[in-house]
Amino acid sequence: MSRIIVVTSGKGGVGKTTVTSNLGAAIAQLGRTVALIDADFGLRNLDILLGLEERVVYTALDVLSGECRLAQALVKDKRIKGLVLLPAAQNRNKESVQPEQMKKITSALTKGYDYILIDSPAGIEMGFRNAIAAATEAIIVTTPEVAAVRDADRVIGLLEAEGIHNIRLIINRVRPEMVQTNKMMSVEDVLELLAVPLVGVIPDDEKVIVATNKGEPLVIAEDYSLPALSFTNIARRLEGEKVPFMDLMAEQNNILTRIRRIFGG
Amino acid sequence: MSKQTCCSQANSCMSSETTFSADDLDLSLDDKDNTASPLIVNSYSQVYLKTESERLLLVLPAEEEMVLNMPWSEVWQELKHRLQAREQSWQAGTAVSLLAKDQLLDVRQLQTIAETLSEVNLCLEKVCTSRRQTAVAAATAGYSVEQKAVDVTLNEPSEGKTQALSLADPLYLQNTVRSGVEVRHPGTVVVLGDLNPGGIIIAAGDIFIWGRLRGIAHAGAQGNRQSRILALQMEPTQLRIANVVARAPKVPPKSFESEIAYIASEGIRLSQASDFAKTHSFSEEVGGWADSPPTNNK
Repeated sequence: MSRIIVVTSGKGGVGKTTVTSNLGAAIAQLGRTVALIDADFGLRNLDILLGLEERVVYTALDVLSGECRLAQALVKDKRIKGLVLLPAAQNRNKESVQPEQMKKITSALTKGYDYILIDSPAGIEMGFRNAIAAATEAIIVTTPEVAAVRDADRVIGLLEAEGIHNIRLIINRVRPEMVQTNKMMSVEDVLELLAVPLVGVIPDDEKVIVATNKGEPLVIAEDYSLPALSFTNIARRLEGEKVPFMDLMAEQNNILTRIRRIFGG
Repeated sequence: MSKQTCCSQANSCMSSETTFSADDLDLSLDDKDNTASPLIVNSYSQVYLKTESERLLLVLPAEEEMVLNMPWSEVWQELKHRLQAREQSWQAGTAVSLLAKDQLLDVRQLQTIAETLSEVNLCLEKVCTSRRQTAVAAATAGYSVEQKAVDVTLNEPSEGKTQALSLADPLYLQNTVRSGVEVRHPGTVVVLGDLNPGGIIIAAGDIFIWGRLRGIAHAGAQGNRQSRILALQMEPTQLRIANVVARAPKVPPKSFESEIAYIASEGIRLSQASDFAKTHSFSEEVGGWADSPPTNNK
């Protein structure tokens, strides 16, 4: 039985697509087959982040209109075995697809893949409705900002109303040094408000930006980074493993920062 | 004892925005005069569930009562929210009568309602409507139909004109009211969960939040200044009672205890909830609660 997970957030720019691409790659590395669906019709990005842009020939819309078979539209990632992408159409908008059609595509993919990750567009309109139509689980991505958390809260409400109760949370772009000095919401603050189980915390890191620009998921990058480790851990947690959460604050407690704090640095 | 510290700032901002009325809010898209009901809770303007003897009634808003002509998808959304909030407060397999009033429903919409109900182990049995088309659709879909003229829908409290002398039964919600959710109820609302920022509860009666109140709560929305708002942890975006508005102090207090908000002579005030009943009484002259022992019984 394959798992259909929608990655959504409400607010834009919190890292849905980054999470989808890296998580997909991380799950595939664990030996599972993963299909990523870009549901952001008209503003597709997932192919760029995966570095598959120039290999896109057909899109989901071509499949729906019968211009190609589903298998033809799937772009295989050559670096990671078991990872494929179903790209969205760039020249159309979100109204050009119906929730029913998304369900059709997704159910066809369940036959061949263990995981189906759907990258939802920002907002709660038609594009969002399409993205969640087929999902049975959801991953909410938020950053520790009031606006992002507020939107996440709204989206959780909408998902629950749609009968998706298996909702988990990823808190992205956490900066331990800012949390330490009370300049940023802490993981606990976010959890207290949203009250959904946490599946991962991803520290803010320049390497994420570099990797997205290079079109190479962090988890396959040469120098293994802290965010990459977070993604692998999330993948293992999705697989049912009990993986303890990284202590991001630990680094903040070394002698140097302690002394700095004492002297009001 | 009133907690001056906690509410001082709430009071200070009161001066600038002591009252609001429908005119202030309604920047007149149309010049309908609805000063009588500041915000619409006087009738079942939202989807509403109600137990009556052995049956469960699902009441849809009449078309004229609907705020801003809500599209069907939102009515449905609201229904789902309501059902989930009330889950387990009935026996599995309970029969439901749908009071559709003058709503126009087609077979497909009726099916969606039935499916939604069956998700929470309820079964749609009967449809009461005043529209012929809806009655036909319901009959086609195989439900028993009761077609009636508009105003005599079962023994629902005669709505509208005899405005809320008696409030509706309390609404009991067992989930968190999240951002974007608006609960309107012509009676008292009890929430077993939080009221998150971005969420709104508007009640004609009192509001009890058995959790954290962080959104907007409006008690006594029909103008009852006696209404109170109680929360285990009070960090509201805004509190409204009758026609008075207050914001919370910018700096939240260090420790939280259950607090109660009420109208005093100088505006909305907060006080420790545990001994409110003993130390406060409502005075008609002041039009608010005073912290003196009761002189006359009421």
